[in-house]
Amino acid sequence: MRISGSYSLPLPQERAYQLLQDPEVLAKAMPGCERLEKIAENEYRMKMKIVLASLAGNFDSKVKIADQTPPSSFRLLVEGSGRPGFLRGDGLLKLTPTGNGTEVSYEGDVQVGGTIAAVGQRLLDGTAKMLIRKFFESLSQTATAASA
Amino acid sequence: MIPQKFDYAVPKNLDDALQLLASGAKPLAGGMSLIPMMKLRLAAPERLVDLARLKELNYIRESGNELHIGATTTHYDVESSALLLRKCPLLPETAAAIGDLQVRNMGTIGGSVAHADPAADYPAALQALEAKFVLKSGKAERTVAARDFFVDAFTTALGPDEIVREVVVPAEDAATGAFYAKVEHPASGFAVVGIAVRARRNAGRIGFVRIGVTGVANCSYLAAAAEAALEGKLGSDADIEAAAALVAGGVDANSDLYASADYRRHLAAVYAARAIAGALSRCA
Repeated sequence: MRISGSYSLPLPQERAYQLLQDPEVLAKAMPGCERLEKIAENEYRMKMKIVLASLAGNFDSKVKIADQTPPSSFRLLVEGSGRPGFLRGDGLLKLTPTGNGTEVSYEGDVQVGGTIAAVGQRLLDGTAKMLIRKFFESLSQTATAASA
Repeated sequence: MIPQKFDYAVPKNLDDALQLLASGAKPLAGGMSLIPMMKLRLAAPERLVDLARLKELNYIRESGNELHIGATTTHYDVESSALLLRKCPLLPETAAAIGDLQVRNMGTIGGSVAHADPAADYPAALQALEAKFVLKSGKAERTVAARDFFVDAFTTALGPDEIVREVVVPAEDAATGAFYAKVEHPASGFAVVGIAVRARRNAGRIGFVRIGVTGVANCSYLAAAAEAALEGKLGSDADIEAAAALVAGGVDANSDLYASADYRRHLAAVYAARAIAGALSRCA
């Protein structure tokens, strides 16, 4: 599944880049993130609990940040699995300064398998979009709260 | 295909049910979405409270110029209600398009709206009808408009201890024409795209129109730009085409293996044209 989109953050580019690499900030912004721990330089292990409608699932995932070109782009590699299924994702995030903030655009490929993909195919795209939007919304809230 | 062990409670009345829910139990209505998820073990609630057994939530009543539909009223009850067929035919027409007969016999209007599947049929009609939902918790009761109730995929304005008690729709006169047009997913019966339209003419011109859309995006919506384009027009084929093209404009459409986002937007325009023409042909 291809995913792409963009979101405007009310932050200067440097600061936005820095926040997107900060494990504490990410842990707070990631929907359902229960724990995030560093396992190596730019590599993290994350426990997530996704609750959606009647569905609730725990995911164990690994997040890796690569190809860092501050402050304009980096690559995010995610691998996760849990009872409902597994996912593997590879995405490129680009940060472009705009008049009053930064435009973060993402483009990537996500593979989802297991029960969730077999029965929930029609819902994957919408759910992915919703989770990504929640992530950016909560990231910009955290950021504005910190700078206030 | 066998769910995890769970407790099951049949409440004596609504207050009893709300108390059980406040203690963390999960509400079960018709079970047409929840039970399959439990069988696949994608959902594993520890305790279910069976709301479908609450007779006090199963009714369709007229009061003033509104129709009140209890939350546990099944799709079949809505589809076959003489009162609704006369006073709000859009809702029975939409209910009749849901899933298959087994689903319509078990599934409930309250369960469907609380679940808020992005491809459910009801939200299109309920948006077009500008329906209101009465939400109840053990402590309070409040009324929320459809446009504020549906928030995102599977996300509504319901609080954790609230349930949908009642759906309120307007009682319409014969001057209002309505139509529901749907592209049905061949396997699931869900709406790939579903468009519900209500319209009234005023001295020959379109005086009022509401276009509710489901299936296209994560959340059902009213197509305001298309409505504005139609108001005051005669409703010619060209008027309808032009307005229908606006129904999915600027909408972040979903895509899956069956229908890409572009195809969904295309279907939305085609089926909106059919639903608008259908509604206008039914205006007295």
